[in-house]
Amino acid sequence: MTDMLSYPEVTHIAVPFFIAAILAELLWIVIKRRGGRYETRDALTSLIMGAGNVAASILLGFIAWGFFMVLWALTPLDLGTSLGVVALCFVLDDLRYYWVHRFGHRIRWVWASHVNHHSSQHYNLTTALRQTWTGTFTLMMIVRAPLVLLGFHPAMVLFCGGLNLIYQFWIHTEAIGKMPKWFEAVMNTPSHHRVHHGRNARYLDANYAGVFIIWDRMFGTFVPELEDDKVDYGLVHNLGTFNPLRVAFHEWLGIFRDVRQPGLSLRQRLMYMLAPPGWSHDGSRDTSRAIKHKHLAQNPQDAGTPGF
Amino acid sequence: MALEILLILVFGGITGIVLLLHMLGLSARATLPDGAAAAKAWADEFADDPALEVILCRDHHAALITTARGRGIVWPMGADTTARYLTGARIYPTKTGLRIDLPDFTAPHIDLRLEPDEARDWPDLMEKPA
Repeated sequence: MTDMLSYPEVTHIAVPFFIAAILAELLWIVIKRRGGRYETRDALTSLIMGAGNVAASILLGFIAWGFFMVLWALTPLDLGTSLGVVALCFVLDDLRYYWVHRFGHRIRWVWASHVNHHSSQHYNLTTALRQTWTGTFTLMMIVRAPLVLLGFHPAMVLFCGGLNLIYQFWIHTEAIGKMPKWFEAVMNTPSHHRVHHGRNARYLDANYAGVFIIWDRMFGTFVPELEDDKVDYGLVHNLGTFNPLRVAFHEWLGIFRDVRQPGLSLRQRLMYMLAPPGWSHDGSRDTSRAIKHKHLAQNPQDAGTPGF
Repeated sequence: MALEILLILVFGGITGIVLLLHMLGLSARATLPDGAAAAKAWADEFADDPALEVILCRDHHAALITTARGRGIVWPMGADTTARYLTGARIYPTKTGLRIDLPDFTAPHIDLRLEPDEARDWPDLMEKPA
């Protein structure tokens, strides 16, 4: 069994590329006067969130790594390190990403970590770097367990996860319209991912894909970007702060406050942690489903169109 | 990659990009051209409680909103806007206008730049029952 295996830390190696690409996108927008928007404080917050994500992965990465190595010691399977196995691992890890991402929008405990990625009202390459500091606490590393138990080495699984994140960097842009049809059919693209970042009722809870959009098509969560429904980026209730600490932790604090409310049953306290974002015991808030229902009540002509 | 090089790249990259954005004039705050724009900015956050009355501040950077549920404020978040109800707000005069402290972790402080007469009148308007 291969115990010692190492792959390059691709997300760190990609940092110079990220910086160069952001500068290129900015230059394009400034010169062409189209293709997106930048704002100083928004971009600064996104970049600090990205730096914090790297710091968190350095400080807390040992937890997931330790968990995977325990599984690796337990499994009798070892698929080796051939290129074909790496490719298979990449595809299966992308399926893993789809479900973790879907949980990230449908389970408030996981949303508390992921919400910061959606907290910008802009959509540019810095938004891609607005990443979580608290991913370890969601325990979503469990979703990777089957890959390790199937015989994919933990280092390979994390390497493929890094490649996945690097792929997703370039799709956070308005500078690219639509890619060729065949590409849009199979791959996640700027157009598909713009939809994912939309706060429009139509676009909520859609397009969870990382690299391959086929997962959304397979599992019924695909919504195309429509010309007559321009994507409005951000959260249903946008933040009123650029403070990275508040961006990183606000939903965790929200859960804590909700769970501690007096007079709730144990089930209600659990629901505040595990139900979809927007759930409340007294119905005073709206989940994405309620938002869509309200939209259809006011816009019945949209019933049956994508996203509804 | 060595940690020292990563740190230099990250801090250098962030500093360089932010300075460039500021020098390109991309630090400007959002403006609300008219009351309708302020009402829309409010509706973007609270679609089912539309603005009944809008008082736009003179420099068009913020607006006081009255709805069926109470009073609220629209203010710039960089090039965009956000909005909150003023429930539980504490209001303090500042040299440039007003500071509003809200019991809201996601919007704890709002600094409004107002003309002296607006800064004098707005606290009463904010606290007046809707």
